[in-house]
Amino acid sequence: MLSGTTAPVSGPRAERTARRGRTHRWAARWSPYAYLAPFFVFFAAFGLFPLLYTGWASLHRVELTAPTDMEWVGLRNYSRLLTDEFFWNALRNTVTIGLMSTVPQLLMALGIAHLLHHRLRGSTFFRVVALTPYATSVAAATLVFVLLFGRDFGLVNWALGLAGADPVDWQNGRWTSQFAVSTIVIWRWTGYNALIYLAALQAVPGELYESAALDGASRWRQFAHVTVPSLRPTILFTCVVSTIGATQLFGEPLLFNGSAGATGGSDHQFQTLGLYLYEQGWVNLHLGRASAIAWAMFLILLLAGAVVALAGAYRRRTG
Amino acid sequence: MRALFRGFRGRALLVAAVVALTAAPAAGCGPGGGDPAGRTVLTVGLFGSFGYEEAGLYDAYTRLHPDVVIKQTSIQRNENYYPQLLTHLVSDSGLADVQAVEAINIAEVTATQADRLEDLGRAPGVRRADFLPWKWRQATTRDGRTVGLGTDIGPQAVCYRKDLFARAGLPTDRDAVGRLWAGDWRRYLGTGKRYRDRAPAGTSFVDSASGVLSAITGGSARRYYDEDGTVVYKSNPAVREAWDIAAAFATEGLTARLQQFTPSWDQAYANGTFATVSCPAWMLGYIEDKAGPAAEDVWDVAAAPRPANWGGSFLVVPKSGRHRAEAARLAAWLTAPAQQARLFERRGSFPSASAAHALPAVAGARHPYFGDAPIGRIFTRAARGVPVTILGPKDLVIAQNLADVGMLQVDQRGRRPEDGWDAAVRTIDNALDL
Amino acid sequence: MRQRARAGVLTYAALIVLTVVSLFPLVWTAVAASGSNGRLARTPPPLWFGDDLPENLAAAWTDAAMGTALLNTTIVAGTVAAGTVLFSTLAGFAFAKLRFRFKDLLLLLVVGTMMVPPQLSVVPLFMLVAELSWTDRLQSVVLPALVSGFGVFFMRQYLVTALPTELVEAARVDGASGPRVMWHVVFPAARPAMAVLAMLTFVMSWNDFFWPIIALTQSNPTVQVALTGLGRGYIPDQSVIMAGALLGTLPLLLVFVVFGRRIVGGIMQGAVKG
Repeated sequence: MLSGTTAPVSGPRAERTARRGRTHRWAARWSPYAYLAPFFVFFAAFGLFPLLYTGWASLHRVELTAPTDMEWVGLRNYSRLLTDEFFWNALRNTVTIGLMSTVPQLLMALGIAHLLHHRLRGSTFFRVVALTPYATSVAAATLVFVLLFGRDFGLVNWALGLAGADPVDWQNGRWTSQFAVSTIVIWRWTGYNALIYLAALQAVPGELYESAALDGASRWRQFAHVTVPSLRPTILFTCVVSTIGATQLFGEPLLFNGSAGATGGSDHQFQTLGLYLYEQGWVNLHLGRASAIAWAMFLILLLAGAVVALAGAYRRRTG
Repeated sequence: MRALFRGFRGRALLVAAVVALTAAPAAGCGPGGGDPAGRTVLTVGLFGSFGYEEAGLYDAYTRLHPDVVIKQTSIQRNENYYPQLLTHLVSDSGLADVQAVEAINIAEVTATQADRLEDLGRAPGVRRADFLPWKWRQATTRDGRTVGLGTDIGPQAVCYRKDLFARAGLPTDRDAVGRLWAGDWRRYLGTGKRYRDRAPAGTSFVDSASGVLSAITGGSARRYYDEDGTVVYKSNPAVREAWDIAAAFATEGLTARLQQFTPSWDQAYANGTFATVSCPAWMLGYIEDKAGPAAEDVWDVAAAPRPANWGGSFLVVPKSGRHRAEAARLAAWLTAPAQQARLFERRGSFPSASAAHALPAVAGARHPYFGDAPIGRIFTRAARGVPVTILGPKDLVIAQNLADVGMLQVDQRGRRPEDGWDAAVRTIDNALDL
Repeated sequence: MRQRARAGVLTYAALIVLTVVSLFPLVWTAVAASGSNGRLARTPPPLWFGDDLPENLAAAWTDAAMGTALLNTTIVAGTVAAGTVLFSTLAGFAFAKLRFRFKDLLLLLVVGTMMVPPQLSVVPLFMLVAELSWTDRLQSVVLPALVSGFGVFFMRQYLVTALPTELVEAARVDGASGPRVMWHVVFPAARPAMAVLAMLTFVMSWNDFFWPIIALTQSNPTVQVALTGLGRGYIPDQSVIMAGALLGTLPLLLVFVVFGRRIVGGIMQGAVKG
């Protein structure tokens, strides 16, 4: 799923002088690693080390109150997840909130990018505006939405009341709470994705549209047959990033719960995996169990990625 | 901690080298041990609202000790503060010279972090006799080291709205109100039913069932743990009784179905939609702020059905600090009776130093916002009756899940009390199991 | 490049809706920050500004030591953005246009870094930071943030299509060295994406909360860390907290407005003239 349309740069051009050819080959072989080195040095220290430590901790009984006292328990922290009702509940919620927030978000982002791609008066203004929600921190955004979605004195229920509807107890219903949490996510991230699409739109060669237009393709067909294929790597990118973001969703459901810690509502109705992991690690202080949840999330994502990649390969083969 | 890292030193050095190149501008602004004038800088790390600075205690201390400068850092919410404190403690890094610990976490800190904390029981200027014995014992290890000095405690009263009581045909005088439920939380429930039958429209008797639950459980000696440190909340009749009474408030429709310390709760104060709330001493300031000037002299304070305690804090001195002796001296001074009395006067934090209870600033204190209620007398009496509660390391987890999972389901989602209890027990079992 | 379609009335109408939806919660934050606590509890909820905005902003400013915090956050977010863009462009280019061993595996590893839930990395990271005596120093929040699998992935996906392979090849054939290829071919082609990545990273770093609150204390805070102390010494006042949230967001918007044209200009240039 990740190999796109790569083409080799190091193709042999035999007619060059031998000396230059050797240098070229040497550079071609080693320079990729030079480009990667800065990233991977930091990655080793601040990415890989936590990942491995977490994996190691997940095989132990270990508490935050004494992270060095580790007692080997093998795969017990994983096997118990199979029967952990809270884990499955959190997984279910993560999927439903993920779908409720990601799908509309990306579709709207594509639409907004399309709008912003027009020649506009005040285009800078609209771009800044679109990014405003993203500039708002999770904490600040959630704080506002908690007030807006308040049961007794919230603006949303007040507006519903004007329309003749009964007030909704947003926080207590499974779907209403998940809807409210999704709203926060959608609000914060739609403009951001729109801007990423916009950047990619700018890079689509104009000739493609021109020739499509010459062939008499309608606006919609241009969109479907030129824009979307050109954006495919970017769309893939946003899908991957949003999916990962949705899997790790944490701040919004944590703060949406007000003061009540990481339970994700009295019935855990909006407790996500990220939140459950946080509850196990930082409230219950079980580092080992939290690490196992983290790795389970990691493995689930890998599995999902593999499924998508296989499906893609299958589709390509069957044409 | 250090042992763990022996194998990683090479990598750490490599990282440090790379880092030096990129982060040069960021370096060099770490915390220092002294200020330019050569005075000792003591840092105090707090959560919530201790009010030391506002009550002028730091100024007073630095007048006594001109060689000291005090810097305070604070995180409003203990949910953010406590994980940070623990992470810093277990890595011996990033700690202030003096740190605060909430009462609900003190058993865990005492049980697991005592080796990293100074024994303040032997620090100069600390007089054991000044403190309530149970408060002292809560921060004392089995081998007799006292790692935390008590700041305040949370003896409880019931705060009530005189206007709503009058309209519901109930007495409004605080002594008469106290007599309505004196001695038994079930009489509080009974009063609630009387209120409900003549309740002013749009109001409830009490804010939340969880608040009632916290208040009742704060009054029993044995709560979630027994003397041997075994978790007994499930079989403890006192907890079950508290649960049943609190749940009855929900099933009888006596609550405003709120969750404490949320924006909705704050808004309900401003709109006066409930008539009573169990209030520890430290909550008076909260009510005053949230209910606002319009409700001045509307709220009043009556004695709770039974004496109970909710909350309170401790100060600890980490061993990794640079100025341990000076820090211990500061902690001792801040928790000394005179300073605790001053804090009660200014902020309503009730002294854990029993020697302060007789001081005029405490004993004679009245609160103008609450109809000039003699809060000194009310809370001193409540404090005297508070039983010695046995604390355990996972008190926070148990209390929070009973309230925010179990009781909240009953109160807000209309679950049956047994179902709420089962839900709470399942969550707690999962949380306690390593 | 093709002349893009001129916007019609419907486009503007849709963009105005977008503007309202995007700005409303923020404007309402200001509304909430402009009155007392009690005002928020009214029915109907307040829809217009009260009188206390300057007062609440001032309270939040002094209470949260915003001066130091803003300076620190600017340093942190600026360094993180610059470093991330540089590293990501280098690595993204290699992944997009060069051939080397273990490429797919390494790319998978990069994407894998994004999948590690940040809540958990905090414990091992803090041990590392403590070991290096970086607690409360800005590098403790700068350096871990430079590992952006997101950035590498983002640049890679952009450069796959935006940078014609022939361009790189031609430069190589003309004997340009690696750094020269980077400077004269890759960076110009990558500029729009670099601008976007810089902006996104800057904002992300600015608002990062979970790790900084563990690594830093309020003696040397970033904005988000400073805001956790709001209400210190008083009862947490919703209006002041809202004012603080506003203070934390406004500088960012100011940066957008001031540099917006330039950032957007970077996007507009679309270096690839196919």
